[in-house]
Amino acid sequence: MARYVVDVMPKREILDPQGKAVLGALPRLGFGGVVDVRQGKRFEVEVEGDPDDERLAEVRRMAETLLANPVIEDFVVTAEALPPGEETHPWVEPDRPLPEEMASDEQPPEETVPENTHEVPVVQDRDEA
Amino acid sequence: MRIGVVTFPGSLDDADAARAVRLAGGEAVALWHGDADLQGVDAVVLPGGFSYGDYLRCGAISRFAPVMTEVVAWAGRGMPVLGICNGFQILCESHLLPGALIRNDHRKFVCRDQRLRIENNRTPWTSSYAENAEVTIVLKNGEGGFVADEPTLDRLEGEGRVVARYLGDNPNGSLHDIAGITNEHGNVVGLMPHPEHAVEDLTGAGTDGLGFFAGLAALTAR
Repeated sequence: MARYVVDVMPKREILDPQGKAVLGALPRLGFGGVVDVRQGKRFEVEVEGDPDDERLAEVRRMAETLLANPVIEDFVVTAEALPPGEETHPWVEPDRPLPEEMASDEQPPEETVPENTHEVPVVQDRDEA
Repeated sequence: MRIGVVTFPGSLDDADAARAVRLAGGEAVALWHGDADLQGVDAVVLPGGFSYGDYLRCGAISRFAPVMTEVVAWAGRGMPVLGICNGFQILCESHLLPGALIRNDHRKFVCRDQRLRIENNRTPWTSSYAENAEVTIVLKNGEGGFVADEPTLDRLEGEGRVVARYLGDNPNGSLHDIAGITNEHGNVVGLMPHPEHAVEDLTGAGTDGLGFFAGLAALTAR
């Protein structure tokens, strides 16, 4: 399983009223020295299989087609492999028995988690457009 | 003259647009976002509202509705298409019109009677107005700031494709005070203000908006 992260930001030359609103609020809350704030969007797209260039290119097409509007936004796509057990977000209903239906001693076996969980391959692709 | 009015989930002004079509002497045909079928209409109006909840970006999801496949295809063959407010946003997301619409620069929703100048009366939607006619119709938007890069703005200005321009204070930060534009063939028009809300003296800001619908009816009656 791989997670592709699409970070979308308004282009530098495009006014970002939402970022300006946050910029205006921070000094009122006592945070000094903030020069600028820009607000964007982050998408996490989970795709079957390990990260590879072909999938990365497909996620870039998703970003160009739907997730971002290239007229006003830039985006960056990054990919990382997900260790087993981290595929889904907590609010996604798991494809397994709900907690009350599980026996209390029914724990996933230890050996399903690889030892090198911190050394996941990372593929990065930057949109130069 | 049969003019289709598309209803998306979250459209607000489809009923008013259909009413404006009828008051102008046309026949309004209800079109559904989920049907890839324009029912043989002569023209299409994409009305205002918050289609698909404005999720992702205004118009970004609507662009992929089955009905839009047909709208894009027929617009390419010269069918008149008018996008009002959210409809304008959908036309930009569909690449039928250049540029994009972003949040108002002052960050507030604006709702007021707006003076406009109709600078291009050569489109089927504006043909009943005199060139540079000054009209007052309703403006109501949260994301009505038209933006495009400089070459695009230069092309729109140079080719006379700015259909309507705001008069007085710029209400939303639109570049060049642009209220509406057209495509290079002049059949697709996007307009941020709402002519369909200015078609009767009883309600709204007079009847200056009726011309957007009457011009089309007169054009095809010939």
